Amino acid sequence: MPVEMATATGTATMEITVSKFELLRELTATQGVVERKTTIPILSNYLFEAGGDKLVLTATDLDLSLRTSCNAKVKKEGSCTIPARKLHDYVKLLPDADITIKLLENHWVSIRCGRSNTKMVGMARSNFPSLPVFPTAGVVKIPAQVLREMISKTGFAIANEESRYTLNGALMVLKPESITMVATDGHRLAHIERSGEKFDGVSGEMKTLIPKKAMDELKSLVDSTEAESIEFARDESTLYFRIGPRLLTSRQLTGQFPNFEAVLPKDNNKLVTVRGEELSAAIQRVAQFADERSRAVRFRLEKGELKISASSTETGESEDTIETAYNGDALTVGFNAVYLLDFLKASGNGDVRLELKDPQSAGQLRPGDSEEYKYRYIVMPMRI
Amino acid sequence: MGKIHVLPEHVANKIAAGEVVERPASVVKELLENSLDAGSTRIKVQIEAGGKRLIQITDNGCGMVRDDALLAFERHATSKIKNVEDLLSVSTLGFRGEALPSIASVSRLHLETRAAEEPTGTIVEINGGKIFKVEEAGLPEGTSITIRDLFFNTPARKKFLKAESTELSHIASLVTHYALAHPDKHFELHSATNAVLVAPPVAGYSERVYQVFGKDTLDQLIAVAAMQPLAHVGLPQPPPWRREAEEDAGPRDPGEMRAHGFVSKPETQKLNRNSIYVFVNGRLIRDRLIQHALTEAYRNILPPTVYPVVLLFLELPTAEVDVNVHPSKTEVRFRQQTVMHDFVRDSVRAALMKARPVPQFINEISAHASASPSLTPGAQQAAAQLSVAQQSGAQFSEGNAHRFAPDTSESRLLNQPANIGDFQLHAPVPPSVSGRFQFDGGIQVEGNAAVALARAPQVVPWNGCTPPIPDEPEEINPTLAPVLASLKPLGQIRESFILAVNREGLWIIDQHVAHERVLFEKILKQRSAEKVESQRMLMPLILELTPAQQAVFTEISDELAGNGFEAEPFGTRSIAIKVAPAGIEACDIEHMLHDLLDQISHEEQILNMDTVRARIAASVACHAAIKVNMPLEQNKMEWLLAELAKTDCPMSCPHGRPVVLRYSLKDIQKAFKRI
Ligand SMILES: Nc1ncnc2c1ncn2[C@@H]1O[C@H](COP(=O)(O)OP(=O)(O)O)[C@@H](O)[C@H]1O
Ligand SMILES: [Mg+2]
Repeated sequence: MPVEMATATGTATMEITVSKFELLRELTATQGVVERKTTIPILSNYLFEAGGDKLVLTATDLDLSLRTSCNAKVKKEGSCTIPARKLHDYVKLLPDADITIKLLENHWVSIRCGRSNTKMVGMARSNFPSLPVFPTAGVVKIPAQVLREMISKTGFAIANEESRYTLNGALMVLKPESITMVATDGHRLAHIERSGEKFDGVSGEMKTLIPKKAMDELKSLVDSTEAESIEFARDESTLYFRIGPRLLTSRQLTGQFPNFEAVLPKDNNKLVTVRGEELSAAIQRVAQFADERSRAVRFRLEKGELKISASSTETGESEDTIETAYNGDALTVGFNAVYLLDFLKASGNGDVRLELKDPQSAGQLRPGDSEEYKYRYIVMPMRI
Repeated sequence: MGKIHVLPEHVANKIAAGEVVERPASVVKELLENSLDAGSTRIKVQIEAGGKRLIQITDNGCGMVRDDALLAFERHATSKIKNVEDLLSVSTLGFRGEALPSIASVSRLHLETRAAEEPTGTIVEINGGKIFKVEEAGLPEGTSITIRDLFFNTPARKKFLKAESTELSHIASLVTHYALAHPDKHFELHSATNAVLVAPPVAGYSERVYQVFGKDTLDQLIAVAAMQPLAHVGLPQPPPWRREAEEDAGPRDPGEMRAHGFVSKPETQKLNRNSIYVFVNGRLIRDRLIQHALTEAYRNILPPTVYPVVLLFLELPTAEVDVNVHPSKTEVRFRQQTVMHDFVRDSVRAALMKARPVPQFINEISAHASASPSLTPGAQQAAAQLSVAQQSGAQFSEGNAHRFAPDTSESRLLNQPANIGDFQLHAPVPPSVSGRFQFDGGIQVEGNAAVALARAPQVVPWNGCTPPIPDEPEEINPTLAPVLASLKPLGQIRESFILAVNREGLWIIDQHVAHERVLFEKILKQRSAEKVESQRMLMPLILELTPAQQAVFTEISDELAGNGFEAEPFGTRSIAIKVAPAGIEACDIEHMLHDLLDQISHEEQILNMDTVRARIAASVACHAAIKVNMPLEQNKMEWLLAELAKTDCPMSCPHGRPVVLRYSLKDIQKAFKRI
């Protein structure tokens, strides 16, 4: 919750004591959001707000902001800004003890810890951008574990850039009893769905486009939280994710997510199951000999075996054979090794089902044992 | 005994008709050509008021006997050809017999001439075409022609003359280029107040370039030298009136063609063709065919919108080239056009490839600094100068004063008063030293040193505090490949430019264009081996095309398909892309195709398959290459430099931008005042 600023008459004040451990934890969690480029100087600062028994820290790069808090002994309520990276680097080196932070004149801030004493200069608090406020209505609870799983299995397929054809973000679809996440870069598509959940407050279909940057940040927040569930809300322009004491806000993506349902393969009839680790190792070996630009590897499906091969004029050629129970017609199809490895890495160990049709049609990959999640990965073939 | 005769009417009628005396420079050109045809070894030109008041040309050639001195002013009177057949193999610069009468009719002309075989000379004076004085006089051997008050009796033409400085600049350019074409002869050009050019005979062409333009220009140039025997294949049949004569003469030896001269390194970039000089058998010409061949030679070395500096001398049997195309004699027709075109293209290309020059820091930087603004006046005058540009070419150094400024201590080009407007051959503005290392963002490399250099140009003694760096002989054109392989990458500047060092100095490699070059060559190879790899799209990308783009698309769709695109028409002026070349992200494809189609639609030249192929390869390479602002690990940088070293043309990207800059040890030492 935003803390009311306690501006004393005339000069601003703030004096608090926090534990190094707690402060550092929050500083580390927010580093990803601190603006790297120093085009707008205030954005490379934290906003510190002290009130009650809490210190609230905020970092923003305008697209994304993260607000978090830790326990503090507040001697004087108030607020200040502090250079973010320097503070983080410094606090890391302090002993595990209490740190006293005090606002001095002209935006100077003193940081004391044991026998260490440092002064840093921040900027006027009023320069810090004001942030959107978490809505009071329409909040949906999503299990943290589910979100974690979904992001890690789709995030890598997001396009690196936004274009008329691709979106630099993922689509999240909430229904009263299911959640789906889809990401594509125009060459491959990752799709994961989980049903059997109960999402109170969702009626019909709630589609949200989450920018890649927010996905990345959300992933690291979800990975490091102990909270059971996260709270999700949105208004016209902003997405809100509350993860324990931390609140991530992100600008909403505008645009049209491609009509992915049309491209999900329906009649792929050449099916083969292989061990994920085995496939991944074979592709990695063979791909050493693929063209540096295209990374193309060739899959040859024959009775009883799957041959994976690559060749380039500069490096030579390479082939790996995996034994399978395949009994259908032979088929040769090319794929980008990187796309396949991305999936195999995300889907973890276990069986992988390869569902192919012909050299021109999309291939589909799924984990062999997906019970709780329906996870599918669609890769377009290459012509080699 | 006279040599001049009036051509019979049927011969005269075969000569391309037209007026050649348009301005002072065209007068100078005709007179200069006459002097050269007369076998002179010393030619002195004196100009006043840009040639409007006075043009005087004095030579030490064969001179004329009294009869010839009068006959020379008759229409179609010439000593250079006799019959129609001679027109087919003209070996002199003149042959029309029209220049002297034309000039004499619009000026006050004073001729002094003496042939070697005669004891006395002749003076002829003509005013506006009327002879009013012929007299005998004791004169030196040779000819001197003085033209006063050009166009005094045709005020309309006089009105069209440009400022004196402009006219002088054209004359200077002309004389300079004839001087370049004849290094064994002595040339002088004087204005009323100054010696513009004084060039005594030198041993060869490069000595002449050095003499006229200085070392900096010579360093910018790569020598071209090539020879190819001519075959008679595809040679058009000789005209009927020649056929019988040839039948009993038996098969002739077709001879050979030679090309020699200089072309600029890729970092020299001109915004127009004014620095391209082509001589065919000693004649300065403007020829689209040769120009196209040069563009082809620089394809993927220079961007399509800029031009090199070229000084090219082509020599071929006179029967192989028809000079009787245009009265100004600046156009020729080659009898074997494609052979000639390919010969020029391949000779220049081979020289460029062999030299593989490395852009030098200073040049690269000054190239950007001076390219556009200083060329603007030239561009504004372009229309006005066109007629002369066609005849004589404009100035060699237009705009790039300091690059083609002579090294004043060594050249014999002398200073010129300030009123010479845009003529900069001889008005060297010393490069402002502090600006030399300026990058466009205003970052100054060794700015302090540069400032100090400007104030105290002498070498600062090192007082023995540090040992000098041992001298290594420096190549003029270091070949790049082995050098690149020896580079040790140090890191990146802004995650965009690789910094590397070796014994020769400090190098900066643009990571994007370097990779672009690597991919470009690879893509072309894969294409010609039909080993193109492509990636299918998740869903078709619908592209809307402008009519121009649509036209180009239709024309090149087969080649696009060969490069891994699969596109289908999709309604009017839309196409659906289903497959695209591998290595391009899906989000980039639309952009890439639009750019490619636009680029080709703006192209002036006729599209041939190779051009289209190279354009596509360049586009794909550009979009598949490592981008700027991308951190690279050490081994990735090493890999990139090694790959670059393997390319045929590591010095410039397929769009012609430089890939590598070198800050040579010598420049570093200079900047630190060690030498
Ligand atoms: N500088 C010169 N020295 C000797 N002869 C000259 C000179 N200038 C002109 N002539 C003679 O005058 C003739 C006519 O000259 P010109 O009118 O220029 O016609 P062209 O050069 O086409 O023959 C030439 O053929 C040549 O014999
Ligand atoms: Mg003549």
